[in-house]
Amino acid sequence: MWKMEDYKYLFKVVLIGNAGVGKTCLVRRFTQGLFPPGQGATIGVDFMIKTVEIDGERVKLQIWDTAGQERFRSITQSYYRSANALIVVYDISCQPTFDCLPQWLNEIEMYANTKVLKYLVGNKSDRVNLREIPRYIGEDFSQRHDMKFLETSAKEADNVEKLFMEIAKQLTLQARQNDLRPYTSESTDRLDGGSSPISSYGCCKL
Amino acid sequence: MAATLESATSEKSSYSRYENLTQLDQIKDAYEYLCKQEDAVNSELDVQLQKQSALESKMLSLHSMLPNLQLVQNDAKQLEGMISFTSTLAENVSSKVRQLDLAKGRVTACIQRVEDILDLKFCTDGVQTALQDEDYEKAAAHIHRFLTLDENVLRMSEDASEGSALETSFSLLHEAQTKLKQIVHSKFDAAVHSGDVASVERFFKIFPLIGQHEEGLAKFSKYLCAQLADTAEKNLDLAFRTQSDDSRASVLYADTITLLFESIARVVEIHQPLVETYYGPGMLFTMVQYLQKECDRQSRKILEQFKKNREFEMKAQQVQQCLMYQKVNSDKVDPKDLDLLLAEVTLLNTRAELYLRFTRRRITNDMESKDQSDEIREEKLMEIDQFILNCELSRLMQELIGNYIMMEEYFMREMVIKAVNMDQVEENSLTSSMVDDTFFIIKKCVRRALSSSSVDGVCAMLNHACSTLEQDLCDIIKSRLRQGFPSGFDFTQAYNLVQSSIQSGRFQSADVETDKAKSAFLTTLNNAEVSCECIQTLKSNLEEEVSKLYSSVNEQSMAKLMSCLSDLAAVSNRFKDALEFGFSQLNSSASKPRIKPCIDLFMSTSHNITEDEFTNYEANDPWVQNFIINLDSLLQMFKNALTPTNYDTLVSHVCTEVASQLEKATMKTTFNRLGGLQYDKELRALVGYLTSVTTWTIRDKFARLTQMATILNLERVTEILDYWGPNSGPLTWRLTPAEVRQVLSLRIDFRSEDIKRLKL
Repeated sequence: MWKMEDYKYLFKVVLIGNAGVGKTCLVRRFTQGLFPPGQGATIGVDFMIKTVEIDGERVKLQIWDTAGQERFRSITQSYYRSANALIVVYDISCQPTFDCLPQWLNEIEMYANTKVLKYLVGNKSDRVNLREIPRYIGEDFSQRHDMKFLETSAKEADNVEKLFMEIAKQLTLQARQNDLRPYTSESTDRLDGGSSPISSYGCCKL
Repeated sequence: MAATLESATSEKSSYSRYENLTQLDQIKDAYEYLCKQEDAVNSELDVQLQKQSALESKMLSLHSMLPNLQLVQNDAKQLEGMISFTSTLAENVSSKVRQLDLAKGRVTACIQRVEDILDLKFCTDGVQTALQDEDYEKAAAHIHRFLTLDENVLRMSEDASEGSALETSFSLLHEAQTKLKQIVHSKFDAAVHSGDVASVERFFKIFPLIGQHEEGLAKFSKYLCAQLADTAEKNLDLAFRTQSDDSRASVLYADTITLLFESIARVVEIHQPLVETYYGPGMLFTMVQYLQKECDRQSRKILEQFKKNREFEMKAQQVQQCLMYQKVNSDKVDPKDLDLLLAEVTLLNTRAELYLRFTRRRITNDMESKDQSDEIREEKLMEIDQFILNCELSRLMQELIGNYIMMEEYFMREMVIKAVNMDQVEENSLTSSMVDDTFFIIKKCVRRALSSSSVDGVCAMLNHACSTLEQDLCDIIKSRLRQGFPSGFDFTQAYNLVQSSIQSGRFQSADVETDKAKSAFLTTLNNAEVSCECIQTLKSNLEEEVSKLYSSVNEQSMAKLMSCLSDLAAVSNRFKDALEFGFSQLNSSASKPRIKPCIDLFMSTSHNITEDEFTNYEANDPWVQNFIINLDSLLQMFKNALTPTNYDTLVSHVCTEVASQLEKATMKTTFNRLGGLQYDKELRALVGYLTSVTTWTIRDKFARLTQMATILNLERVTEILDYWGPNSGPLTWRLTPAEVRQVLSLRIDFRSEDIKRLKL
């Protein structure tokens, strides 16, 4: 059934964004090193796992790839709250996917944890001649909304590894700070919510 | 030999060296060296001479072999000649056989051709008569035979005398084929029109014989679709006429769609062997594609009626608005109104899943039985998957489930909020109603989602269950615990309280308000603890159901379900945090203030005592019995108000508190030998009591204190070495060497030089 693995932290990363911006391709590129042409639309949600090493520690990324189509919205929304990081993806060669970003941010506002790490990703950066959204526009948007920004190409494997590794690094850093903070009965901070990563010392092969 | 020669020459050259020697010592050395060499050469010669006889006998035997060799060589030459002769002979023979074989092959081909031509003639004649006799099966069989012949090959023999005859046959047969096609088409249509099932099937079987596979399947499927549409319409009509008080009224549309799916499944079941036999394997997919179109059409009709008559869309919109803008109570959709509707949606989806699974299995099996390359098969299977995933029925169901999830979440959340608001403590109950109610609702909702057979739906509901538990139950518990356990707990009042509770069997207090707040706090603490347990039970129950209901889903879906289930289990950590927080509150406002005065009493009791005092203490205990009574009254107060687990946790907290306060106090007290003995007795009494009130072992918490007592009880400073280091035996010291020295220095009769001199 469920394999117990040797890892220090487990993080949930959820990808969202309009249909056809290349969420599944980004995940497949990162987890399997593939770029499947003619990828069909995702039905519901899919998840993949990849364990990476950050400063000598094994970190497991559970990557949830969601369907972009409207009719799956209520299913995908249910994953926001437990996410440690959210990646909002748009297609740099398709203006409408960029125009929808405020809607996606609105959903994040409603359902996600306030401390969630947010990334804005402009995918399909290989389509140089078809570009509709200049890089600085995306960058500007991300800064205004307190998000990190990257342009990627799942097709050419550009920045994909970097995207997920950066996320893993930042989440590990956060988790370590949480570990260091001593637990005292007075600190109600931790009680007030905030997703403490599901660390799994219990099941490690120590 | 060469070696000796070489050494001889080298000797010669060395002679000249020897001649130049002038010193006696050198000459002596050279002489000795030469003597040694001579000995060596001699011994080597001896060895060589010893071998002489052996070599001679070998030489002899070689000589005797020589004539035999000559003989062997002659024989070999003869054999070689014979073999080459045989091989030429064999080559000759086999080339003739090969020629014969070629000739035979040609003869067979020729016979085949002649037979084909004869068949062609036979078919030409046969088809005419069969058509005249309206024996279409026979005519089709002739055409089928004709179609298997290679027309081009036959035409090559045209230059023969029969060429023109062949040509006529061909044209006649082609003509007959077209004619037969027309006839079969029109006869099939006529049969469909007149509802003659036997004729429909009769002509359906003829299509593949005249190379009209696609057309046949299309026509036949169309016929089947028309029949399905008919039945579906009748069923829908029947559904409309069902009385609202009918027992199946609440699942009317689910029943109707079930009838539709069943009738399609029956059609597939009945006609699959027919298609397989007459059209070959791998053709069922074509037929199902036609049938699915009709299924989509009919399902949409039923679902449209469902949405309209159940006001599904309207309710979904209302719920969405409730979720978007936190509406005031009066405008809200009553979750109870959704109950039946949600049940029907899950039923609709589970039927659709079942049907699609059936269809998919059938066409996949059919496709796999077809003889084709692996690549093509993979491609075809992918095509089937895509077809099932993207058919309109799937899409309609996805939409339905999407709305269902939203409404189910709303239902669950509203019901839980209601349960929390209507929280009540029942008499003699340690917990309040909200825990049981909340878990009942969550279980109900997740199980309903489970009954929909939609993996994504179940996962989404599990996620929502986590949120609801955290936001609507755990957070409430936390905020209640944050208000704290009312303090102002004075010792005499507590004592009276215990007395009165013993007398009347019930809690009674002058201050009813504080009392209420206290019991509310304890109830909340119990709620938190029971919630942890409930989550584990819920998780294992659901896990069991998932493995029962979803045993056939693929690995990926199962992993998804398991991941969401384990997230649910992780929610219990939040309750544990709350529980921990609650206990720290309880500790600081209830336990600490009670323990402090008793520890003060210990501090004011001298442990620097005479023999008389020690004896006196035996009769009139200075503080520990009092302390125990106090602790007992404290614990007894909570014992009946807390769950067993919580009570144990409380005892554990109290023990920690007592141990830490007592340790601090001990470090500020001075002892003599008898005082140490007294201290040891006191500690034993205390640990003995605390052990008796809990099921856990608490000795560990008192390990440091016990070790301190041991030290305070020593006769001499150096006696510590009997217990320290290599002599410690099974005892693990919890005190550092510095602490040991510190404790030793509490004994006023121990000299500090001795303590300093200790090597620890």
